[in-house]
Amino acid sequence: MLDSIPSFTRLVAELAKFPGVGRKTAARLAYFVLRQPEADADALAEAIREVKKNIRFCSVCFHLTEDDPCPLCTDPGRDERVICVVEQPQDLLAIERTHSFRGRYHVLHGALSPLDGIGPEQIRVAELLARLKSGQVEELLVATNFSVEGDATALYLAGLVKPLGVRITRLAHGIPTGSDLEFVDDATVFRAVEGRREL
Amino acid sequence: MFMHITVTEAIVLRHVDYGEADRIVTFLTAAGDVWKGFARHARSSRKRFGASLEPYSRVRVHWRPGRGDLASLQQVELLALRDGLRRELLSLTLAGYGCELAMEIVGEGGHQPGMFAWLDAFLDHLAAGGDPASARLLLELHFLQLAGYIPHLLHCSECFGRLGDPVAFSAARGGSLCDACASGRGEVTVGLATLGSLSRCLRGRPEQIGEIRLGATTLQETRPLLETALDSVLHRPLKSKKILEELLRNDRERT
Ligand SMILES: [Zn+2]
Ligand SMILES: [Zn+2]
Repeated sequence: MLDSIPSFTRLVAELAKFPGVGRKTAARLAYFVLRQPEADADALAEAIREVKKNIRFCSVCFHLTEDDPCPLCTDPGRDERVICVVEQPQDLLAIERTHSFRGRYHVLHGALSPLDGIGPEQIRVAELLARLKSGQVEELLVATNFSVEGDATALYLAGLVKPLGVRITRLAHGIPTGSDLEFVDDATVFRAVEGRREL
Repeated sequence: MFMHITVTEAIVLRHVDYGEADRIVTFLTAAGDVWKGFARHARSSRKRFGASLEPYSRVRVHWRPGRGDLASLQQVELLALRDGLRRELLSLTLAGYGCELAMEIVGEGGHQPGMFAWLDAFLDHLAAGGDPASARLLLELHFLQLAGYIPHLLHCSECFGRLGDPVAFSAARGGSLCDACASGRGEVTVGLATLGSLSRCLRGRPEQIGEIRLGATTLQETRPLLETALDSVLHRPLKSKKILEELLRNDRERT
């Protein structure tokens, strides 16, 4: 029925392009928009337009921002000497939520993934190297994921950065806070034992 | 409806994220089959699968038929994580190359008994910090043999005659060529001694992968020969190979 209405079909088709949204969900969302007050639907359309118009990548750290350089790069209270490298903007936000890090950031927008054909040239490594060569940075904290891709990226960065005399560190990985050992998976226990530290 | 759960030992070749929470995992099973399984909530919860879907690990998969071609993964036990791969970028990249090579040669839904044992030994060897160059050559050579593409090495592939030294080699014409059959076009040159080494390598078993260490000349002379042979088997260039070569080039430039 609704399928035969061109503007409805068009909205469904657009929504179905979202990751994890199939045609069924897209149709449900479209139906929701249809029943919304006009002002709400306008607000949604406007928000999408604004995002595309105002948000870009910071030319220093490549985080998403409305101002270039971004507030994280211009904040005088943050330590210039430490850069934390992450794969994606979401990872940066996860670290920021903890208030545990007060240095600068660098977003790679990916990780090395040979099977996907993603090498150093496909991610923001050259830009990171340029920042490190400026001479102010003393430590690089690698906070890429603990996946094959994230670990490969960390190894690659280590090889690149060590000759520059910059200290390179990696996020510790281990047992999730608040969890009982017996319920933690073997691989996590294995790596936690390997990465044990002095008390 | 009751559906039987099958248990299979396998190597995780790769995984791709699906939607918000799920993952699609490609396996090479001990029987030599390449197939894909669907791991529901593999990303959002670590309870069920934990790290057992990490690429290059050996696992025991409990699965049942799912929708379409995808098996539905019920449980995956980790048998070997091969954490040692993550200490060296070259090992990690080579592991990916080996897995992509297996995936391409067998093909999805394909069947190639014998490949599991070689890939398994290769990954164990790399994870233990073993010599990558010889292991790569052995893997490629045996994969070619298992796929039925192993070229004639120690006699002329066209007239079965005796070979000179050095030998002209053409994958397109079936392998080594004697002086009379060689045309000088599209051929690579290899020493007879190198062909002898390769022939001996072909008689090795997977568990011997760590014992065989080939000399620099053999490795160097074999590379173009293997490249042309692999090109004739593969349907497309391997993505991991480009990155592997970049890495090897950088290593050479640094030393
Ligand atoms: Zn910035
Ligand atoms: Zn001949």
